[in-house]
Amino acid sequence: MSADKTTASKAASETQLIARAQQGDEAAFEALFNTHKRRVYSLCLRMTGDTAEAEDLAQEAFLQLFRKISTFRGESAFTTWLHRLVVNVVLMHLRKKGLQQVSLDEPDASQDEPVKRDYGDDDRRLLGSVDRIRLAKAIESLPHGYRSVFSLHDVEGYEHNEIAQIMNCSIGNSKSQLHKARLKLRELLRADDRNPSLEESRTSRPGAER
Amino acid sequence: MADQELEPSARQREACREFDRDLPAYLEGEERPAVLTHAKECPYCSVVLADFEQIRLSSRHLPQEEPPARVWANIRANLEAEGIIREQVPAWQRWLPRPALFPRSAPLGALAALALFAATLLIPPRNMENPNGLKALAPGGKIEAASVVPFGVDDNLARTLSEMEETYLAREDSLEPTLKDTYRRSLESLDTSIQECLQHCQKEPGNALARQYLVRAYQTKAEVLASALEFSGR
Repeated sequence: MSADKTTASKAASETQLIARAQQGDEAAFEALFNTHKRRVYSLCLRMTGDTAEAEDLAQEAFLQLFRKISTFRGESAFTTWLHRLVVNVVLMHLRKKGLQQVSLDEPDASQDEPVKRDYGDDDRRLLGSVDRIRLAKAIESLPHGYRSVFSLHDVEGYEHNEIAQIMNCSIGNSKSQLHKARLKLRELLRADDRNPSLEESRTSRPGAER
Repeated sequence: MADQELEPSARQREACREFDRDLPAYLEGEERPAVLTHAKECPYCSVVLADFEQIRLSSRHLPQEEPPARVWANIRANLEAEGIIREQVPAWQRWLPRPALFPRSAPLGALAALALFAATLLIPPRNMENPNGLKALAPGGKIEAASVVPFGVDDNLARTLSEMEETYLAREDSLEPTLKDTYRRSLESLDTSIQECLQHCQKEPGNALARQYLVRAYQTKAEVLASALEFSGR
């Protein structure tokens, strides 16, 4: 079956599920949950960096979705609708928590942000393939503002105009936050690389570049 | 004069600063040929560029996490409490033409026994230390009646479900193939649900929600078997 046909078939089946969920069909709710649970939960997890919060937020997002599902008329893609809702739920939560976030309204100073280099030192690339667990951990330790934009753009594939809309900031600020997030991530990963406790595992791995 | 003031390393650093200024736009996919040109000449900036590319690539392939089962259980409980989930025709009933589906004279005795069995299951276990007793009610028509004492259920009740299933299995060849296949799929699906519920109950004997699901799965299985027996007996 071609990719187009598969996509069309998935969309048709999702439309049927939505129609059944609008009638209060439990099996349809469960099927919709199962289809989207991993992406929703992962997004919550990456944006909060906390499993307990991610569980609560994923639950809250799905509940809001199912409460409103009778109003869904298919003008936008269901997935887009769901993900916008999830991001809103997470952002609302972060705002309520009053966590010190990087302001999304600050002037765009990313152009002046220096990239750290080890001039004259034994500078080397990150490992050929950044370990996904290390990367996930590094993302978790980013400040909230950076983490949200990075997760939405680099992990989830949102465009800057969408992020600007979701996060109520300018496109320029979204770009600026993303670049700062990448800079910070690189710093974190390189610091991790220098950690002597990781030295053994790193040098024993094939593809480690010096 | 200017050349004398700018040492090679300083010139190099200035080129690197330009690289830094262009880098965000380049990473956003904009045309910045100077970035690549400089990266080819400068070992430090080639490392920077490679790192950013690596981070971007790896980020797209981060694994997605599975939420714990309790997330759905909580959502379901909320939906039910808020009346968003409405009484539904069970999935197995949707697979079949409705008028022919509901046997007016289903084996009522068996259903009554199963209802009692279900009610008993809803009572919290008296002997929490012996959750393994649940194994005796494993699905698939292989109920080991002799060792059945899950949740204090009388083994006669468990045997009733087992007998219904055995009777149906003996008669199922008399059914029209499509109908037989439908019943088989329905029973297999229910057995899977029952198995999952049993595993949850085994892990957490005090889990009331898991027990409710188990009861419902058994009830549905009883209804399916009753319907199947009605058809196969015609």
